[in-house]
Amino acid sequence: MKEFELEPGEHVVKETRKHWFLFLIELLPYVLLAFAPFILPKFFALAPPLAPYAGFFDYQTPLARTGLGVWLLLWWTGAWGAFTRYFLNAWIFTNERIVNIKQHRYFSREVSSLFLSRVQDVTTEVTGVLPSLLNIGDIKVQTAAEDVEFVMRGIPRPEEMRDIILKHVSTKLQNTGV
Amino acid sequence: MPNQPFQPFSPPTVLLLYLPDGFSAGAAVAWALYVVFAFWAIYTLVAIYHWLKYSHASWIAFPAIATHLLVSLALMSYALSDQAFFFTNYLP
Repeated sequence: MKEFELEPGEHVVKETRKHWFLFLIELLPYVLLAFAPFILPKFFALAPPLAPYAGFFDYQTPLARTGLGVWLLLWWTGAWGAFTRYFLNAWIFTNERIVNIKQHRYFSREVSSLFLSRVQDVTTEVTGVLPSLLNIGDIKVQTAAEDVEFVMRGIPRPEEMRDIILKHVSTKLQNTGV
Repeated sequence: MPNQPFQPFSPPTVLLLYLPDGFSAGAAVAWALYVVFAFWAIYTLVAIYHWLKYSHASWIAFPAIATHLLVSLALMSYALSDQAFFFTNYLP
């Protein structure tokens, strides 16, 4: 069963996720830890007081290779889990609403919908050098109820997304004769 | 002393003396591997469940699962026998 059913006449306009660069940043600790057994011996060899410890990273013995294999397996599995969570967090734009799917962790999921008929204002925000270069930003969607705000963080091409939302909001208003 | 160089220490093989009678170091390693692989299996099953249930029939789901299984099995093969087909050339 799907998490949300499309209404008659409703169709998906766009599905988006956080920018891939933000995912790469999330992945960085896993990569660094996975490569640590290869980097540390070289680092230790450079520092004379630590040089004797380089011998601990001798992967010629079966036990050391087993340890290395298990170490890499754990970090690979962790990184794949991070990708799973990245992929399962999504924003889905339809011609009727915006659906925000948040996968906080496994077995903890939140799906919320904001109908375009309630949208009053859409703001985009791009802050920082890298976000400006890569065109990563936030979109804030203000509804008729002043305290309700829908925030989408770290999405690619926020201006394009804002235009899509506003285009469908104005179409919706024309259809309803407002 | 802070002004003395670090002294290398030996691996904690002394801990093996505390193993119960009839329980060898090899058995300890084997049990550690069972625990790791059981954790991997449970974690993988949970993640696959989420992929299949929540990915909205995305075409990425099956390649993602297949890649994870392939890389994991290669790493397990390396850990258990030093032989992991395409991986062996890249690992020490």
